[in-house]
Amino acid sequence: MSDTPVTTADPFERPLTRREVIKRGAVGTVIVFGSTIAFAPKRAAAASTASSITIGTFQDNALSPIRDYFNGLFTKETGIKVRYHETSYNAWYQNAKNDGLNKTGAYDIYIMDDNWVPEFAAGHIIQSLDKLGFKVNPDILPKGVEQGLWPPKHGAKMKAFANAKPELYAIVNIDDVEILYYNKDYFPHAPQTWDDIYRVGKAKFKPKKLYGWSARGVKGNPIVQTYLPLMSSYGANFVNADWSPGFAGPAGVAALERLFSFIPFMPPGVAEFDTSQEVPVLLQGKCTALTEYTGTVHVIDDPKQSKVVGKINTAATPKQERHGPAIGTFICGIASGSKNPQGAIQYLEWFTSSRIQKQFARRGGSAAVTGSALHDPVAVKKYRWLPAIADAVNTSIPKPRTPDEPKMEDILGTALNEALIEAISKKQGYHAIAQKHLSSAATQITKYLKQQGGYF
Amino acid sequence: MTAVADPVQSSRAWRLRLAATPYVLLLPALLALAAVSLYPIFYGVRASFHKYRYGLDMGSAGKQNYTDIYHDPVFWQAMKTTAKFVVIAVPVETLLGLLLALLVARELRFASWIRVALILPMTIAPVVVGVIWRLIYASDIGIVNPLFSHLGLGTPDVLAHYHGAFFGLVVLDTWEWTPLLFLIILAGLHSIPQDPLEAAQVDGATRLQTFFHHTLPLLMPVLLVAVTLRTIDAVGTFDQIFVLTGGGPGTSTQLISIYSYNTAFQFTQYGQAMAMLVTLLAFLLLLMIAAVQFIRRNSRAAA
Repeated sequence: MSDTPVTTADPFERPLTRREVIKRGAVGTVIVFGSTIAFAPKRAAAASTASSITIGTFQDNALSPIRDYFNGLFTKETGIKVRYHETSYNAWYQNAKNDGLNKTGAYDIYIMDDNWVPEFAAGHIIQSLDKLGFKVNPDILPKGVEQGLWPPKHGAKMKAFANAKPELYAIVNIDDVEILYYNKDYFPHAPQTWDDIYRVGKAKFKPKKLYGWSARGVKGNPIVQTYLPLMSSYGANFVNADWSPGFAGPAGVAALERLFSFIPFMPPGVAEFDTSQEVPVLLQGKCTALTEYTGTVHVIDDPKQSKVVGKINTAATPKQERHGPAIGTFICGIASGSKNPQGAIQYLEWFTSSRIQKQFARRGGSAAVTGSALHDPVAVKKYRWLPAIADAVNTSIPKPRTPDEPKMEDILGTALNEALIEAISKKQGYHAIAQKHLSSAATQITKYLKQQGGYF
Repeated sequence: MTAVADPVQSSRAWRLRLAATPYVLLLPALLALAAVSLYPIFYGVRASFHKYRYGLDMGSAGKQNYTDIYHDPVFWQAMKTTAKFVVIAVPVETLLGLLLALLVARELRFASWIRVALILPMTIAPVVVGVIWRLIYASDIGIVNPLFSHLGLGTPDVLAHYHGAFFGLVVLDTWEWTPLLFLIILAGLHSIPQDPLEAAQVDGATRLQTFFHHTLPLLMPVLLVAVTLRTIDAVGTFDQIFVLTGGGPGTSTQLISIYSYNTAFQFTQYGQAMAMLVTLLAFLLLLMIAAVQFIRRNSRAAA
């Protein structure tokens, strides 16, 4: 019989030596890490089988019907499960970019803002839909489809892509576009020109009670969105075909002067206004008209938010020389590392089909992408703004298609904000103010594009 | 045959091993520090010499990013705005913090409650502070416009004017960060030896004389540390501005933190953004070296 100490029946009661603790700890660690490494890829692979797709997106109310209803409907009709991951706009832009550059395969479809397309397509963050065999529904409004092409079909092209054939890299899923919102009490019919709006605004203006016009005046993207429909309708271009800025000429200056002419009838502090301040003025019945993107259609008849339910009508933004609504669609691309590109293609073809788009328009009056949906009598009867969205998309003018567009927009948006502040404080000399700030912006943009290279 | 160890050599080896032991033991910590703290800085500096396009690293750009920002008037404007912000906000906060600390250091009734109330703003997340002040300043729903209007001063539309927005930001920052300086200075006041102060009073010094000739010099090292920390923090102010003004109107509140963020994440010029931050880091380092020298000299003089 051995003289080794007899162990107790319950191993947990036995005191452990230091060596045993280390040994067991090491074994435990190996098991935990080993199993993580061993099983994680299998789980990830399992998650990306042909029977499922993963969509990543930013949060936006316009996308809610997709999340809440259409993804489920797709699963029901096809058996393909849809995972839908939402995050904030800025975070999603970075996530999507990192995911695509590293081809992680975490997502199959990216829902994007259309100005991401040049960077994502040129950087191969998304795949060519043409090469994947995507079939475009001919019912989709052509201007919406063009937002997904790289290089662009029309307008200025970067030198490196000047001779490349435009390929479809993304397909529009929400036709977001700027439209005119006007109060029927002051405009029995949709105003046709900016002069019409000026006349009514001036005549109806009552200090602190009713403003003739409201706008997004805050620097950067918001004031650019205010200016673009004016600029385009006066016949100016953001950039010409040779990338020279086109807004500092007579037409662009006249457009900005027209915006300044509304200053006496606009709410005080408009230089700090963004959508969240501009739209309530309209919904409180304190404004005759304004331009905004289609997201606002969902609140104009909501009695919780609007005091003028049923009184706000919509139309394409007014024309002067021509129509020129700014377009900013939501658009879907397939991730470069997608593990189920065919499932993603199936989803996108299904969602942009005329049948589903009709349902999309009928569910809350969403900005559908097909002509038949936007003119569907059943949908239009309930959601009167749908034809205005179609008109606006058909007459829209896109922003410059380049990865440097945000910087160009920032330069112009800062100059416009400074011009607006100066015009508000001086109350005169609008032409000179407009000329000075637009010329400065044009010079800065040209300098920046030259610095970046690939334009001139 | 067994070799006999040379006792001199073995003793030298032993001494060497003994001397090296602390460094060997420090090595894991040094490696961790290098990985966590130094590598990101190295990576950032490296990125400042690279060109990025379409989200891709296009390779070395030489000193082009530095040349570009050197010729970028917006960058220098942002540096100037940052300096102006720090030079105004930090002294105001320090002065207010000192006054409040002097007030609360005395055993007033409800002093503990006052202390708690004073440090509350500092405990709120900067983004939330930005939202609160945006609501206060907003020309449509804020309280500043009606208040001024009621007093017959018109409507300032704080965020719609260059100076209004800038000073609005300084007020926000003062509200949020005075408590930090207050706390540090209060702790400093409590640590000051009371004997010299009591002796001065016995000698007939007034309260003001006691403060300027005894309290303030004794408090100076603490004040310098507090100001240095606050300056570093103020240079990097971001969240509140992002929410409150986005850097506008114009470029009036565009600090370097906002401009470099936009350059990196909106304009996707990561190299240029890093060049901006490296330049800022160089400026800050110079400032900190000067501050540390000043503190040392001051401490020696006080001693």
